[in-house]
Parts: sequence; C-alpha cells; structure tokens
Amino acid sequence: MTHLDSELQHLKAATIKMWQLVNLQLDKGKISLLNLDKDLAREVILSERRVNAYELKLDRDSENIFALFNPVAVDLRFVLAVLKINNNLERTGDIVEGIAKFVLNVDHTFDTNLLELTRAVEMYEGANKMMEQVLEAFDKEDTSIARKVFQMDELLDDINIKANKIVADYVRTNQDNIEAALYLLSIIRKLERVGDQAKNMAEEIIFYIEAKVLKHKSKEEKNRE
Amino acid sequence: MYKIESKNVDFYYGASQALKNINIAIRPNTVTALIGPSGCGKSTYLRLFNRMNDLIDNIKITGQVLIDGGNIYERGINVDSLRKNVGMVFQKANPFPKSIFENVAYGLRVNGITDKKFIEERVETSIKQVVLWDEVKDKLKKSAFELSGGQQQRLCIARCLAIQPSVILMDEPTSALDPISTAKVEELIYEMKSKYTIVIVTHNMQQAGRVSDTTAFFYMGELVEYDNTKTLFINPKEERTQNYITGRFG
Amino acid sequence: MINELKIIKSKRRNQAIAFFIFRLLSYSIVAILFIILSFIIVKGVSVINWNFITQMPEEGMTKGGIYPAIIGTLYLVAGSMIFAFPIGVLAAIYMNEYVKDGIAKRIIKQMTNNLAGIPSIVFGLFGMSLFVNKLHFGDSIIAGSLTLGLLALPVVIRTTEEALKAVDNTFRQASLGLGASKWQTTRRVVLPIAFPNIITGLILSVGRVSGETAPILFTVAAYFLPKLPTSIFDQAMALPYHLYEISTSGTHIEESRPIAYGTALVLIIIVLIVNLLANGLRKYFGNKVKMN
Repeated sequence: MTHLDSELQHLKAATIKMWQLVNLQLDKGKISLLNLDKDLAREVILSERRVNAYELKLDRDSENIFALFNPVAVDLRFVLAVLKINNNLERTGDIVEGIAKFVLNVDHTFDTNLLELTRAVEMYEGANKMMEQVLEAFDKEDTSIARKVFQMDELLDDINIKANKIVADYVRTNQDNIEAALYLLSIIRKLERVGDQAKNMAEEIIFYIEAKVLKHKSKEEKNRE
Repeated sequence: MYKIESKNVDFYYGASQALKNINIAIRPNTVTALIGPSGCGKSTYLRLFNRMNDLIDNIKITGQVLIDGGNIYERGINVDSLRKNVGMVFQKANPFPKSIFENVAYGLRVNGITDKKFIEERVETSIKQVVLWDEVKDKLKKSAFELSGGQQQRLCIARCLAIQPSVILMDEPTSALDPISTAKVEELIYEMKSKYTIVIVTHNMQQAGRVSDTTAFFYMGELVEYDNTKTLFINPKEERTQNYITGRFG
Repeated sequence: MINELKIIKSKRRNQAIAFFIFRLLSYSIVAILFIILSFIIVKGVSVINWNFITQMPEEGMTKGGIYPAIIGTLYLVAGSMIFAFPIGVLAAIYMNEYVKDGIAKRIIKQMTNNLAGIPSIVFGLFGMSLFVNKLHFGDSIIAGSLTLGLLALPVVIRTTEEALKAVDNTFRQASLGLGASKWQTTRRVVLPIAFPNIITGLILSVGRVSGETAPILFTVAAYFLPKLPTSIFDQAMALPYHLYEISTSGTHIEESRPIAYGTALVLIIIVLIVNLLANGLRKYFGNKVKMN
C-alpha cells in the first residue's frame, strides 16, 4: 500500500465515522420527536458539536492530502467527493439539530395524531434509510446501491408535496393547534432536505467511482443511467 | 489541420520492437506531454519527429510520420532542413563549449548565414525570448559554462529558437533543474505555445498537468491513452493510465 | 551485545589489514620509481654539463657529449609524429563518428588492437624490409620515422577514439538537431571538446616513441656519427640506441659507463618534459575550449 493509499483509507474511515454519527443523530432525533423526549433532544443538540468538529477534521485532512500528495484521477475525485460529502453531512447534522430544537420548544399539547396524518414518521424513516444506503454505497464503493437512493427520494418528495394540503385541512378543523401544525410542516421541509443531501452524496459517490457528473441532470436521465 | 501526425508507426531497435502501432495527431500551437515509465518508448517516439533515431544503428521504422502533412520518412527528405524546422531541447543543459553568443549563433552559422548584423539581431531576440537577456547581455563573449544550470537550459532553448523552428521537442527539459529554474522553463513553454508546437517528454506528472494541453501515456511501447490533459488526469479511461498517474503501478 | 562487539572488532581489524596492504603496495610503486630515478641521477648527474649535451662524442664514445643523439631523437620523434598524427586522428574520427557499428568496424578495431600488440622489434624488421630495402630509403631518418610512426599509430588512434567517445552524445545531437551536418558537428563541436584529451594522447605517444630502440635498430640508427644529419635520407644517432650501444657493444664498456648513465638521465628528462608538457597543454586547451 502506498503512503497516499493509507492516507486515503484514513480519510475514508473518518468520513464513515462522521456519517455514522450523523445517522445516529437522525435516529435520536426521530425518537425524541415520537416521544417528545426533551432530554434526548438536548443530547442531540449537544452532539451536534461533535459533528462540527468532525467536519473541521475532514476539511483539514483533505487539505493535507491535496497539498502533500497532489492526488490525480480516482484519488483526486475521491478527495473531492469527501469534501462535498463532508459538507452534506454537516448540513444534515444542522437539520437534525433543528428538529431537536423543535422538540424542545413544543409543548405537551402537540397532537401526535398529526404525525400519522402527514406520514411524517414514514418520511423520517425514509430519510434515515436513504442516509444508511448511501453510507453503505460509500463504504462498499458500490454505485448500484447509491443509485437506489434516487428512487427512494421520490417517496419523500411525494409526502412533502401532499403535506401542504393535509396540514391546511387539519388547521381548518383544529384551530388551537395551528402552531404545532406549522412546526411539523417545517420538520417535513427539513426531512425533504435530508433526502436532498443524501441524493447529493450519492451523486458524489457515483462521480468519484465512475467519473460521471450527475449533478443538474433531470430525473429521467439519472434513472437511465 | 494537424501539425504532427503519426500513422501506424512501428519502430524497432534491431529485433526488438520499441513502438507498436502508434497513432497520434497533434494540433498546431499546443503542448503535448508524453508520459510513461522508463523504457516505455516515449523518448524514442519523441526522437522520431526530428529523425534523431537515425543516429542509432540497426533501427527500422514503418508507418508514417507527417509534419505539416508531409511524410518526414519519405525518400529524398533533407534531414538537415527537417531538423531546422524541428528544434530539440535535451534533458541535461548542453551548451557548446563556446561563448554565450556563439552558442545561439551556432544554428545560424551552420545553416550558412554569414550576415553579421542579422546574426546579432537574431541572437538578441532569441535570448530575449527566453528571458535571459538581462542576465547575460554584458557577458555575451564569456563561456556558456559560466551560467547556472537553469540559465544554461534557457540558453539551449534560445539556441533552438534562433533558427526559428515551428516544432520544439523537449526531452525531460527540467529534470536536472531546481524548482525555480523549472518554474521559469515551464513559464517559457506556456508562452512559446503561441508560436510553436511543443512536444515534451516528462517524468513529472504535475509538470505534464501544468504545461500540456494533451497528454499521451505510453506503456511498453504502446500508446495506452491519448487525451485532453484535464480528462486524462481527472478521469482517465484506461485502468493502466490511472494506475500509473496515481502511482500504483505494478 | 558481546557478539556484536566482536563482529565490529573483527570488521575493523580486517579493514585495517586490507588498507595496510593496499597502502604498502601503492607506496612501493612510488618507492620503485624513486629508487630507479635516484639511481640514474646519482650515477649520471656528474657527467651532465653543458658540454655533454652540446658536444660530439669522442674517443670511442668514452669521452665527449651526446649532442647528435639528442638531435637525432628529436628528428625521429618529430618525423614519426608528422606521419602518425594526421593519419591516426583522421582514422579515429572516421571510425568513431562515421562508421556504423558492424563487422567492418569490429574488424578495423581488432586490427588496430593487434597492431598495438606487435612487438616493436617486428616493426623494426618490417620497416627495414619495406622502407630501407624495398623503397630504397636506406638507413635514414625517414625510414626510422615511418617505422616509429607505424608503432605510434595504434596508440594515437586509440587515444583519439577514447577522447572522441568521452564527448557526450547530446552535444552531437544538439548540433545535428540545429540542422548542422555531420562534418560541421565533428569540426565545430566534437573536436574542440575532445581536443585536450587528443593532445594528451598524442604527447604520451611521443613519450613512447622517443624511448623505443628496436624499431630504429635496423632503419636509421648509426653506431657512431660525429656529425649532424643534413637531410631526411641521412642516418642519425638516437638516445636509446646510443645507450644500448655503449652499454653492450663498445670496446671500452667500463670507461663509457658514466656516459651511459648520463644518456639515460637525459632520456628520462626528455620524457618527463614531454609528460609535463602534455599536462600543461591539456589544461591550457581545456580552458580555451571553455572560453571559446
């Protein structure tokens, strides 16, 4: 193994660790949301610092590899992909933090029935699954796993689009719960963005393994590939 | 229209085949880098373009090498005038044991130019072209060996420019130079591109990336990949290319 | 640990022994040279004076000087070099710069080497039969010079070739790459670079020629000739032959012994001067090549 190889392996391992942490955060966020567990929400908010620390570390490691090893070809693409994935993970971390803050702020009158109606839990689980899939694709360097994510994102999009009408209907009949309903809508928006982050990461993985630029292509094109 | 083309070129040293069916087309005013491990045939290939391999005994070449559309291996080609048109810069700076001025004037003199004023002007412009004039203008009569390695190499480039070639071949021109001199030569290559077509053999992958427009990767006498330098360094098509440029060979 | 110390010690000891032997051998070479030189000097220095090198030999060579032998040697050296230099240098240029590798080149090379290996007495015999008898030069400076020239030829060719080979090929390629012809390249680039080494080789061959006895034995040398040669068809005396004669076949060997040592000293001094000259010229031309 060359020196560069071992550096790249370290970078990959660190990325996976950060990723697992973010996924754990997502999980905890979900549980705190379902149970309105404010302690767990606090823990998620605290742990967000660790995610940020990871982001800085990955940035620095990537910089070092650029400066010292002048990577080319697949190595170059890998480090570039890690840089962007790092960014996406950090954003995802922020989103989870946002959800946790919401759990902290919301009071006991929050109508958990609304979660059922909007399929928010299903959406949350979808987002979680997507993140795990992409992580697996990254770990195994398998683009076929990464590609499945694009299909999964359609579910999230679907729930997101329908949520507006459902929330609107709900608000009409439950006038005293408007605030909670709006909060939930913003969570759904956040989850939709988690899906986007996962999709971006899948694109980066495909780019670095197969060197195809998937960004800014329409869905049909992506599926054709 | 291509400046240099090679069509189905095979090359043999005695019985061993050094180049296998090489097809490359090079556009005018571009820099083409030839990369590959030692003994892959890239230097041999470079030396086809000014028929420098002719100096070696027992060689054989088949196929065509075209410069400006004319086959330079055709019978009746004047090798001296071909070499006037295709200059060469070598790995080690090799100024002649003459004065700085005479080094640059050499190519003019051997080509029968005697007009003193013309020679002086041409020497001056050539040395200016390689950004050496300010450093040597007061010691043109001194021996070229008094210059530093980097200055000597630039003098050799000036010597080559003096006879106004249209193609310049460079065989690892910076491998013996320190980073600052290397940077100066690379800067020169970049500037010369507007006037000349340059083919450069280099072991320095970063250099190939910095100076060239297209890159050809040779391995064991074969042309493995020939592409845009950017494409080749970010997304090579061939696994052998990727293994070589990322340093994971063999 | 103890074992390691042992190994280190034995390594040091072996090295010390080896170096001691090498040092002894190389000093002994110097010692031998020194002994020979001092022997000749001690024995010969007493007879050397101005008269010795400017007077004719007298009284059956037991008295007088060796002037004609010195002059004869100079003539022979000059004559042989006029013959061997141009032919040898041009042949070497042709061989090294023009002939492609192949059977012909190998044969010429092998022949040159063989020529260098022929004993000098055979050259003498050949010179006698060709120059003296066949071409009717008689015992003469020209016959001797040509014979010595033949002897020097392989040395000249070989040293010139070595000098040309030492010129880095990229100089040739750079010159040819500028559109110069092969001859322009050889004359303007290769020869100037090789010149200091060629000169050295030439002068060393002068040293060799000036000390040869056998080739001049049958072709030029006079036993006793108390006058200077006036043309190239005259016989001449020569230092090495003179030395040989007065040490072996004179009638008064014992009386002429000091003169023999004097002659030997003069011969050695001439060779020494030639060698010093070689070094000086090499440095001079070496600098000149850089300056041009």
